[in-house]
Amino acid sequence: MSPVAKKAVDFYLAQSQAMNSQGALGALRQQACARLAAEGFPTLKDEDWQYTRLSGFLQNLFANDQVPQLSAEQITPYLPDFDVFKLVFVNGRFQAALSDDVSQLPKGVSFEPSATWLTNDEKAANLFVDETEMAKEPFANLNSALMQDGFVVQVAKNAFMEMPLLVLFVHTGGQADHSRNLVRIGENAEISWIERHVSMDAASFCNAVTMIDVAQNARVNQIVMQQMNDDDYYFANQYISQAESSVFNTFFVSTGSQIARHQNHLYMNGEHIESNQNSACLAAAKQTVDSRTHTEHNEVAGLSRQLHKFVLFDEAVGVFNGMIRVDQKAQKTDGQMDNKNLLLSDKAKMDTKPQLEIYADDVQCSHGSATGQIDKNQIFYLQARGIHREHAIRMITEAFLLEPLEELSKAPVRSWLMAELSQQLQKMNG
Amino acid sequence: MLLKVENLQAEIEDKQILKGLSIEVKPGEVHAIMGPNGAGKSTLASVLAGREDYEVTAGSVEFNGEDLLDMDPEERARKGLFLAFQYPVEIPGVSNKLFMQTAVNAVREEQGLPALDMFDFDEYAKEKIELLDMRADLLDRSVNVGFSGGEKKRNDIFQMALLEPKLCIMDETDSGLDIDALRLVANGVNSLKTPERSFIIVTHYQRLLDYIKPDYVHVLYNGRIVKSGGFELVHELEEHGYDDIIQQHQEA
Repeated sequence: MSPVAKKAVDFYLAQSQAMNSQGALGALRQQACARLAAEGFPTLKDEDWQYTRLSGFLQNLFANDQVPQLSAEQITPYLPDFDVFKLVFVNGRFQAALSDDVSQLPKGVSFEPSATWLTNDEKAANLFVDETEMAKEPFANLNSALMQDGFVVQVAKNAFMEMPLLVLFVHTGGQADHSRNLVRIGENAEISWIERHVSMDAASFCNAVTMIDVAQNARVNQIVMQQMNDDDYYFANQYISQAESSVFNTFFVSTGSQIARHQNHLYMNGEHIESNQNSACLAAAKQTVDSRTHTEHNEVAGLSRQLHKFVLFDEAVGVFNGMIRVDQKAQKTDGQMDNKNLLLSDKAKMDTKPQLEIYADDVQCSHGSATGQIDKNQIFYLQARGIHREHAIRMITEAFLLEPLEELSKAPVRSWLMAELSQQLQKMNG
Repeated sequence: MLLKVENLQAEIEDKQILKGLSIEVKPGEVHAIMGPNGAGKSTLASVLAGREDYEVTAGSVEFNGEDLLDMDPEERARKGLFLAFQYPVEIPGVSNKLFMQTAVNAVREEQGLPALDMFDFDEYAKEKIELLDMRADLLDRSVNVGFSGGEKKRNDIFQMALLEPKLCIMDETDSGLDIDALRLVANGVNSLKTPERSFIIVTHYQRLLDYIKPDYVHVLYNGRIVKSGGFELVHELEEHGYDDIIQQHQEA
């Protein structure tokens, strides 16, 4: 372990020990700390991390002890112009005063901060990730050592919430946020939520673990917007399990952070499941954006769709890694994974690895990846109609990046995301 | 004079294609430029529209009294030059509506006119769609994506109708079109003819010209105009092909 990594490991071990957790949580933290002490942080030699350089991240040591009081006015700029039910977190801690009144949630939908679950042995177990999974993901493991709060949303059988939840994570003061979240959607229930990560000032570190449990026939729409400042660090591991005939849609939008790495671990554990995983990632300067999916088709007749788009400026690095694994039981699987990337500078770099692992014989699976620069014939076509070259490039780039958003069925949400991405694109296009 | 091309010479990748081409077009005139493959027909269209792959090595082009070769492609378009592409380009995700509203407003800006908002543009576009007898959903589709060859060419004609250019250059617009599509394209062009608007129709075949009836016909061979005449020249070429002309000029 390098001296820098050792220093970071010691720092986070001490932070975990100082939390002095008891019971099941205490035992879990000990396990996580032992693993952190033994394995440290991944290096470029680890296959899953060879394009995601952590040396800059390790130079920073992120405390997790300050939660400034923010005013409602400070939050307003981060809210969309359509109706949402808002849940606000500052440095990973739930802020009831800034959030909507959770007693007003529709019947069958409940929210609790996960802090209250973590100290209750029986409830805490629901927030713990499978041990073997945890061993594979160093940042999920770090989250176990340091998790402090997060959101637990439960939707009862047949319950339905039309208005989307907005879970707003505001980061400030160069602090860390190790959220542990759980969303449980009951049989034939339906919910949509948007998670938005923003930061106000100094370099922050967001390290989230979210567990999503989708019961039979349930329908779920999730959007994650990573829009932190350029010197921040964002890591997220999502563990999703789906039951029979359920639909899970997730969309990752990434524009900020020095390093952003978002991973879906999706288990399609029933028949006739549908899942859609899309991302739209934008990076400039020396940013790294890394979107990963691991999708397991474990039963008959599952349908999975993925479209991941990256637009890279300057010396930005993009990473896509996707694996579709089809169990031998999972006949009639229909899995499609597409990754398309646009490089707007000679120094931008994209590393992509779409993979299939198929153990059933009657399946329809495909993956594809394409990386390139803007077709100059497209630019000329627009110019030949009077559109300035820079404007033409912006139009083509924007259309490229926004394509996966067409899948979003709610028009106000779609327009909001489009506007946010266009604005960012314009800024990067300078 | 709307367009005055003098002794135009151009090359691509160090290969000279145009070897001293001259042509003059007055407002309202329809010129056809015909010629065998490799004569330089598409190069002429591309050079006039400003495609950067081509390098002009000699000669001059005046458009409405201004130096055309000094302008960016977008500036040429804004000043009223329109190229209908041999292969219209697909642009996934950009709707025809956004594309054309942006283009129309670019031209309006040049003319000192206020921009059309979404509603005004819709109304204006609807007129043109009706004029050309096109499908109403055209505007909502991505530019040329999933269009048949004929639809792509008609989309270019639709763009021409919206931009109301002074000079329309049609680069082998007839290639790959069946007779129905060809007729639709020809009708489009005919309905856009005005006493001020000029056309240069670049083509290998006479089919399209039978519908459009150009005022002047030029034969391009080996980078030069080698013969000019009236509409009767089209039928002469139809009968004898380009062989006579090729032979004549190879000997010369």
